Amino acid sequence: MLDGPEASGKETRIAMGTQVATSSTQVSMAPPVGVMIRTEDLWKTYDMGEAIAVHALSGVTFELERGEYVAIMGPSGSGKSTLMNLIGCLDTPTSGKYWLNGRLVSELSDDELAYIRNKEIGFVFQTFNLLSRASALHNVELPLVYSGVPAKERLEKAQEALRKVDLIERMHHKPNELSGGQRQRVAIARALVNNPSIILADEPTGNLDSATGEEIMGVFERLYEGGNTIVLVTHEHDIAAHAHRIIHVRDGKIERDETVK
Amino acid sequence: MAVLSQPRVLLHKLSPPVGRSTGVWVTSREAFWIALEALRAHKLRSFLTLLGVVIATTTLIVVMSVINGMNRYIQDHIANLGANVFILYQFNWTTSYEEFLKALRRNKAIRIEDFEFLRDNIKGYKNIGAEAGLDGGAEVKYKGHLMHEVNLAAETPNMIDIGQAKVESGRYINDTDYAHESMVCFIGQDLADEFFPSLDPIDKEINVRGIPFRVIGVAARIGTTFGQSQDKFVQIPLTTFKKVFMARPELAVNVQAWDAQQMMVLEDQVRALMRARRHIPYKEDDNFGLNASDTIMAMWHQLTASVFAVTVGIVAVFMVVGGIVIMNIMLASVTERTHEIGIRKSLGARRGDILMQFIIEASLMALTGGATGVLLSLMISKIVNIFFTSSVPLNAVLVGLVLSTAVGLFFGIYPASKAANLEPIEALRTEA
Repeated sequence: MLDGPEASGKETRIAMGTQVATSSTQVSMAPPVGVMIRTEDLWKTYDMGEAIAVHALSGVTFELERGEYVAIMGPSGSGKSTLMNLIGCLDTPTSGKYWLNGRLVSELSDDELAYIRNKEIGFVFQTFNLLSRASALHNVELPLVYSGVPAKERLEKAQEALRKVDLIERMHHKPNELSGGQRQRVAIARALVNNPSIILADEPTGNLDSATGEEIMGVFERLYEGGNTIVLVTHEHDIAAHAHRIIHVRDGKIERDETVK
Repeated sequence: MAVLSQPRVLLHKLSPPVGRSTGVWVTSREAFWIALEALRAHKLRSFLTLLGVVIATTTLIVVMSVINGMNRYIQDHIANLGANVFILYQFNWTTSYEEFLKALRRNKAIRIEDFEFLRDNIKGYKNIGAEAGLDGGAEVKYKGHLMHEVNLAAETPNMIDIGQAKVESGRYINDTDYAHESMVCFIGQDLADEFFPSLDPIDKEINVRGIPFRVIGVAARIGTTFGQSQDKFVQIPLTTFKKVFMARPELAVNVQAWDAQQMMVLEDQVRALMRARRHIPYKEDDNFGLNASDTIMAMWHQLTASVFAVTVGIVAVFMVVGGIVIMNIMLASVTERTHEIGIRKSLGARRGDILMQFIIEASLMALTGGATGVLLSLMISKIVNIFFTSSVPLNAVLVGLVLSTAVGLFFGIYPASKAANLEPIEALRTEA
């Protein structure tokens, strides 16, 4: 199944991934070992009218295994945001296939995509994207609300997630009562709460100062060590360097795929 | 490279999520919470938005309460001819003005001969009595006291069983008085209060239109109807009235049946006999009137029906206007919260979840308007009841609440579907 010199390291991580999967209460349809994300010739084209088509992505093919820590890096306009939207099931490709955790998600309906986003993806955004009128706790439990989880269970899971990011004492604070770093941690807790397959972070430190940014990257490192699969999208090399593999994107194609650690 | 080996890989259609039925309950609770928050956060805006619905609901309930109160009032004070009693009179009480003018020319008064004819020829009645009155009332004197516009009525003795009056002290007119055309009278409470505040009225002599009558009984207090006292009367035997005041009295014949069904039968009998007696051809209308409690109520209901129709029109207009205002505010709200909707969608909210969120918000807003209208109308009804009459019927409250919720639901659909159809990526790009 796996060959190459990295096999043993990956196998360990995958074994840990198995531990993570079985300790959660979620029914997992994914194979315990193997590929988390697989894309095959993804294209995303926008029709601008008058026979002008803009290709945001021109045939992207790659694979990502469970437990990996990957950065997708590229300058603005490279298609990395488009690729992130596709990976995060916020959008569907014009052509090509995308398997997430064993499911072919590139041809799903809107409602089915919503379900995938709820269960399989944990988003972390540059601008945090928290609900400003809700407490940290309610923000974190929101994915569980849309899963239909009853209140008592929600409370437990949300508090658990907040504990993982060291923010349990502030759970009743509203976002405007929290610092930037704390807000991002709430967002990370929210991303974790439904035990997603992947955590998808879009420029997570973009709105933070360098010290807080490093704190947040530290949180991601902890999550990676705990067995989560992390996909980081950024244009900064310093941030991308935290990951263990960098996929360079330019002009809608993968330019280079390097393993850094 | 790794190879996907599991056969489950081929499964690219989702199986239905587990526990979605709890899901609907949970997400709708979230929607309620959001809706309440939205209402609380913009109190003034919410109030202005709901004004149309509040006014509509208040109007509806207040009008229905006044009508309801009056229904009861009419039932108790006016339409109480007594159980199973109908009245044969010259005129029908339920006619329009034109019909009344026609009747004035056509209809002939009921005379004592008609009364005696009916008394002897219909069968099975419980009671049949007659009364006559003097237009314009009479002047009644006792010692130094004078009362104007006293209702002078002439009765047969059995009218005490058929009519409204009850004996409080003394006795009513009896068959002996009737046979002997005695100069006796039965007075109402107002006369007792005015003439005999600390005396016993019985056997005292009062002057009715200058003619002396001996008081034989006093009636129990009846009360007022629309401000008019019902206790300002003096009743004398019909035969006496004929002898002393009017040689050919115009009567109202009261027929009392044993039950409601028999009453209808007796009405038909009286109609048939009267038509025969007056030789009215088959095709022509009656030249007399048959009136019962339900005739009065029917007349009253005709009147209230037109009032109610106008009310429905007003309420409908206000509800539609209120609904459009709600729709407008919801559209603005959706635009304001586009970014928030994007966040929710990115976390897994489906189109249906967002739709439900905004429909519940619109409905809850409208329901709040309806509830406010109910409270307002309860207060107004209490105030109106002091001066007039008003009693809030439960079904009016329910109609008001249901109607306002429905308006919210209906006018909330368009904004809600706009929200639900937002593209998550676009919505997220919008500034919060």
